[in-house]
Amino acid sequence: MAIADDEFRCLIESHQRMVYSIALRVTGDPSTAEEVAQDVFLELHRSVEQLAGADHIRFWLRRVATHRAIDAIRRNSTRPEADAEEWEDSRSAEDDAPIDNISLQARLDELLRVLPEPMRVVVLLRYQEEMLPDEIACLLGKSVASVKSHLHHGLKLMRRKAAVTMKEYVRETA
Amino acid sequence: MKQPEAMSNEFEQELARAMRGVDPPRGFADRVMARAQSDVPVRAKVLWMSRRVRQWTEGALAAALLAGVFLGEQAHLRHQREQAAQRQFEQAMRITNRTLEHVQQQLWDAGVR
Repeated sequence: MAIADDEFRCLIESHQRMVYSIALRVTGDPSTAEEVAQDVFLELHRSVEQLAGADHIRFWLRRVATHRAIDAIRRNSTRPEADAEEWEDSRSAEDDAPIDNISLQARLDELLRVLPEPMRVVVLLRYQEEMLPDEIACLLGKSVASVKSHLHHGLKLMRRKAAVTMKEYVRETA
Repeated sequence: MKQPEAMSNEFEQELARAMRGVDPPRGFADRVMARAQSDVPVRAKVLWMSRRVRQWTEGALAAALLAGVFLGEQAHLRHQREQAAQRQFEQAMRITNRTLEHVQQQLWDAGVR
């Protein structure tokens, strides 16, 4: 038996923010993120009967959204990804704008977007979804050690990039 | 001056704050609902098409099977006819041979060498 329309709409409204945020931060492109998020909910519509309970649905949505978003960036391969050193060399005058002009949160979001994909996904799940490393490992089908390694290196790289582009902030906090 | 660990924690706290959820564009749920509702006839059409293809495939397989049976039967009949002709030829050769032997015996009896 298929899910009723009002029940399905309720599910979308409850989880659209989480699904869209994952898709947006993994792909870095709003239109691709919307496409991925819609596909995830359509997939949910087809298989919701096999899912038992709200927690299962939430876990399923996180997992499918993450994998579909990764598939989308691998398919498009348009995301520029650079090391901190490369980024430092290619910094423009715009990057030297005072930190007040661009919100700190937006700058951190930008730092996340240029991380290599495996690190970006792990950092996203850790800080957006507040998942623990073992939960992330389960969701991604990776070892806990691998997740911790990606998390450690991802944060390290973000801090290095922040030191390059957010000097004002670093000076203020130091 | 802050310790590196404190700076790291502060960085992570800022990161967690920066990673708040982002709302999808307005009308997202409506667009998903519209796609979900149009997804059903599409699936029905796919099933209908696959049934047509299945029927066509079944018909083709049945025709191929009938053609195979017919051709096999034809081959069997041809083989039977060939065997009968072979038997008739061998019978004719035996009769001819016996006739020749009989004639030769008569010639010997008449003293012809």
